[in-house]
Amino acid sequence: MSGRRAVTRVRAHGRAAALLAGAVTLAACGSSSSGSSGGGGGSLNNVQAIEVGLGPSGSLVNGLFTSVTICVPGTSNCQTIDGVQVDTGSVGLRLLASRVSLSLPRIADGNGNAIGNCASFVDNSYAWGPMATADVQMADEKAPSVPIQLINAPGFAAVPSDCANGGTAADSVSALGANGLLGLGVFRQDCGSACSGPVSRAPAVYFSCPASGCSVASVPLQSQLQNPVWLFPQDNNGLIVSLPEVPAQGARTVSGSLIFGIGTRSNNGLEGARVFTTDDVGDFVTTFNGARISSSYLDTGSNGYFFLDSDTIGLPPCPDGDSDFSCPPSTVTYTAVTTGLNGASTQVTFNVANAETLFNTGNAAFDDLAGPDTGDFDWGLPFFFGRKTFIAIEGQSTAGGTGPYWAY
Amino acid sequence: MRTLLATVAIALLGARPAWAVLGQGMSSVSSDQQRLKGRLRSATGEGFSLHEITAADGTLVREYVSPAGEVFGVSWRGPAVPDLAELLGDYFALFQQASRSDVRRHRPLVVRTERLVVEMGGHVRSFRGRAYLPERLPVGVSASAVR
Repeated sequence: MSGRRAVTRVRAHGRAAALLAGAVTLAACGSSSSGSSGGGGGSLNNVQAIEVGLGPSGSLVNGLFTSVTICVPGTSNCQTIDGVQVDTGSVGLRLLASRVSLSLPRIADGNGNAIGNCASFVDNSYAWGPMATADVQMADEKAPSVPIQLINAPGFAAVPSDCANGGTAADSVSALGANGLLGLGVFRQDCGSACSGPVSRAPAVYFSCPASGCSVASVPLQSQLQNPVWLFPQDNNGLIVSLPEVPAQGARTVSGSLIFGIGTRSNNGLEGARVFTTDDVGDFVTTFNGARISSSYLDTGSNGYFFLDSDTIGLPPCPDGDSDFSCPPSTVTYTAVTTGLNGASTQVTFNVANAETLFNTGNAAFDDLAGPDTGDFDWGLPFFFGRKTFIAIEGQSTAGGTGPYWAY
Repeated sequence: MRTLLATVAIALLGARPAWAVLGQGMSSVSSDQQRLKGRLRSATGEGFSLHEITAADGTLVREYVSPAGEVFGVSWRGPAVPDLAELLGDYFALFQQASRSDVRRHRPLVVRTERLVVEMGGHVRSFRGRAYLPERLPVGVSASAVR
């Protein structure tokens, strides 16, 4: 991560502006949109713009951002929030409460107690806040009544120690690096059956919050945080992250597309992409440097490739405060093999450049940023440049089989 | 692991799991048995003993104990991140100090100091990590044993 900081500028729509945006959207629905034809379902735009940049905090390298429109369920009372980070390593829409001007209905349990959600991030930060419901729209795709999380909502219960875990709160634009997180991983819900079964076995993800304090709760699947894509009326079996190549020294910004649906329209076919099915937590296998790493995943929310430790592969960590990243004297090219649970495999070649040199360019988008890890192979955002990456959602059928799978 | 010593089913006591503590004695493993909702498996390996605890929520915690009886390493894997303040004990302050950054890092956390190494990774539904004390590794035991 670079040491740069910039003054945060956030566009927060007032209600009048939101209503206007809603009207514009409705008008757009009646006209022909680009890139969508076929399917017999009429013409509807299933392409959402994304951008790699420093984001609303001005400090995030390789952050992938988009805008999300939320509405009070069933109404045209809507608001568009930009600077939302697209994260295939999580599931569900999480918005900083400070960026949400709408009054959204909260989700309560059978006793009328508010439900809180806890997101843990691997940099030992967390996001805590109440569950609420909103219609969620991107391009012309609109998912009705989607459970979302409002991070750091004023007046809500204090974070339980089971959630904070001694970590730091990702509760502001500067701490989160974004106005929110759009989790588009391979699952329908963030937690799934582990959180809807007996409460004695539930991980500390959902909490029931009476006035006396919050405790871990079991929450039905339909009330958990949802991947909004599978709740779209159409194009709901998955999505594509499409980003162009970037030069070796990076780019200031990079524009790309989220394309909703897999094989549902003329613009989202699998074509030659190979399907890699995953295990029950969304992982596949990467074979690298003689090691078989079963905890491998594609994560747009990680800003580099993170794999093995520097002792194992001889990539020196950067000095000073940047030791999270690798600083080889010159760019190194590696090849790894990714293998799905279905046995499909392919070679992936990637470069690792000197991270300090990259940061000193002032650019925000790099396809050759990497750092050490142990045990996992985290294919972060650099993987996504120069290709289309398909994300098939669990239980959803596609021409390439039933999700969950990644394809590229 | 050469010998599997015991597999003990622990009654459902206590509210949430508590773990043995890095840098403390074997007794912190034993005290877990009083508070855990889960199963404990212990084994003796080359130069250390391993205590593996599966919590009710599926989180697997491994505790590595030196012949002198000190917990020199812990690892975890599961659907949520365990309480690191509990796991790291006296080393937690050092962890917090070393992991602090003035800019947000969207990446797995790596903390490397002379006294403490912590590595965390994963994603929704699957978090993992390990912590060990480089200066307290038993003779002949490498850091890669903590996994």
